[in-house]
Amino acid sequence: MLAFFGRSVIQKIVTLFFVSVVSFLIIHLAPGEPSQIDPLNPKFTPEMVERMRKEFNLDKPLHIQYLLFYRNLFNGRIVSWRDNLPVLGKIWERFLNSLPLFIVGTLLTWTISFPVGIRSAIQRDGIYDKSTTFLSYLLISIPGFFFAYILIIFVVTKLHVPVIGMETFGVTASSPLVRIMDRTWHLVLPSILGATGGVAVLSRYVRGQMLEIIGQDYVRTARAKGLSSETVYYKHALRNALLPFVTMFGLILPGLIGGSVIIESIFSWPGMGRMAYEAILGRDYPVILTINFLTAVLVLAGTLVSDLLYMVVDPRIKI
Amino acid sequence: MNPEPHSDLLLSVKNLKVHFQGVGPVAKAVNGVDFKVRRRQTVCIVGESGCGKTVTALAILGLLKQPPAVIAGGEIFFDGLSLFDLPASQMRNLRGKRIAMVFQEPMTSLNPVFTIGDQVGEAVLVHEEVSDDQARRRTIQLLYDVGIVEPEKRLNDYPHQLSGGQRQRVMIAMALACEPDLIIADEPTTALDVTVQAQILRLLKRLKQDKEMAIQYITHDLGVVAAIADHVYVMYAGVVVEQGSADAIFSKARHPYTMALLDSLPTKEKRGQRLYSIPGSVPHPAYRPLGCPFHPRCRYCEPSCEKAFPDFFDYGKGHEARCPVLYKSGVGEKDR
Ligand SMILES: Nc1ncnc2c1ncn2[C@@H]1O[C@H](COP(=O)(O)OP(=O)(O)O)[C@@H](O)[C@H]1O
Ligand SMILES: [Mg+2]
Repeated sequence: MLAFFGRSVIQKIVTLFFVSVVSFLIIHLAPGEPSQIDPLNPKFTPEMVERMRKEFNLDKPLHIQYLLFYRNLFNGRIVSWRDNLPVLGKIWERFLNSLPLFIVGTLLTWTISFPVGIRSAIQRDGIYDKSTTFLSYLLISIPGFFFAYILIIFVVTKLHVPVIGMETFGVTASSPLVRIMDRTWHLVLPSILGATGGVAVLSRYVRGQMLEIIGQDYVRTARAKGLSSETVYYKHALRNALLPFVTMFGLILPGLIGGSVIIESIFSWPGMGRMAYEAILGRDYPVILTINFLTAVLVLAGTLVSDLLYMVVDPRIKI
Repeated sequence: MNPEPHSDLLLSVKNLKVHFQGVGPVAKAVNGVDFKVRRRQTVCIVGESGCGKTVTALAILGLLKQPPAVIAGGEIFFDGLSLFDLPASQMRNLRGKRIAMVFQEPMTSLNPVFTIGDQVGEAVLVHEEVSDDQARRRTIQLLYDVGIVEPEKRLNDYPHQLSGGQRQRVMIAMALACEPDLIIADEPTTALDVTVQAQILRLLKRLKQDKEMAIQYITHDLGVVAAIADHVYVMYAGVVVEQGSADAIFSKARHPYTMALLDSLPTKEKRGQRLYSIPGSVPHPAYRPLGCPFHPRCRYCEPSCEKAFPDFFDYGKGHEARCPVLYKSGVGEKDR
């Protein structure tokens, strides 16, 4: 067990190294450079471009640049090329903004998908199953942004729920209670929208998994014992059907940092996703690479968590 | 109504028909099956795979998924109760408590995420008001009864830690949990190797004596039938074609299908010879021939066999067969 853990961590560190190299190369292979972002701007003289390249170490060979970059990252001294602010501080601030969206969205997704998927599977081909199937495919096929705008129009005109940003402009002056309420209201629509796509996909997956397990011989054995259908479904079948989702549970970790570009852009939510998107447009290499690196760390940590969880829940897997 | 309410008749299946409705023609998997099981009797249902044995067994326990299965006709009486008229809750009380089943595939019939102690104990707890501790002790005793060594230690094992034979023993322990009147064993040894098969058969025979149960034993192997049966039903393509005491079936078979099965059985006399095998295979239940379902594969086939499938001909002492050709000609009597 401890040996497995050690081996696994070493493997993941090696993987992380390759990820860092590859992402670094890809960024530098991609056309465009921060110094050329605005070459037609008459204020940008060739001398300035040259100075900028020097400043950002862009004139050095790639491997030196790589070493310099990751040294700065580990020292925590890395700064954004756009505003010279420490990248880690920027990310932390955005991360805290994205966190509520992520938590509420994930909670909604998981708590809705499971009951819906399980019930559809148990009542296969019934009215409930058919309507949830229809709804899921509808939600999967409608583009998220389109659905978002329809909802926004409806919610703003009919319910007067605020939808843009994290809080109403100028609300900072109000009492804490008002501010909390205001923030909660702002969370509603983006989290629901963030969850709909997830619910549509995950509930299908839960249904499929549950259906497969219901057809297994041991479920028939459980019935043959004279157990009630509740025990058969919720004890014998569900316990097995849940196993693959334990793996998925570890893999939602990276979602912590990815955020959702589309949702955050639509709602002008100052979160991680939007920061990453803007950094890519602005060729802000330090920000892009740091986010990339942190995401890789979380993915690898997630797989480790999945493996460990799997060992806990599936008696067949022992190391 | 049940014709013999106070006799030793335990199970009686009458003209049972189970169809599967999918795309295409209806598959008449069980097409009018009659049989009886008396108390403390071992009844064998024998036939090639695909002839409807498992579907019949699942119909008795009410375990068929409907749809796709449809009970198209017939009645099942168990100890005076008409099973098809029983409310779901009563049917559930019957399952595991009075009728238990041992399945064909020991490798997949146990739940991989629960210990065997849990799974056997659950069979006790669901039907009886006992404490967890009593259930535990019962479980240990049951595992001991079915020949699991050091049952206290094996209690916490998961199915994957057990061999196929041991798993089948656990399945049997589970079936025995409430001392049922009837155990339906659906090819319990088919997936096991020969020595383990013999052990399991001996175990079932011993348990049947000790616990005074009836066994409905389903198999495709006449060798197994010879080892345990009191009474035998030979099934072919969803119908019973011959029935009789084990003696009658082995010494005076009166249906060409039974005779063909016997011919394909390896015996000492046939040592060194090439074993007989019945030409062709069981027709798919959706595409059965008219007349006698066996006629395309039958060596005694006459033109009339292609048109009509007559009822049983009586040979006395409960021995009956559904072949008019052998009945009229008397073939078989001198052969055996
Ligand atoms: N769920 C099902 N759907 C359709 N056909 C089935 C189903 N289960 C069994 N059958 C058909 O019923 C026939 C009898 O099957 P079965 O009772 O399992 O045979 P066996 O005698 O080998 O136990 C087979 O031809 C099989 O194809
Ligand atoms: Mg079968």
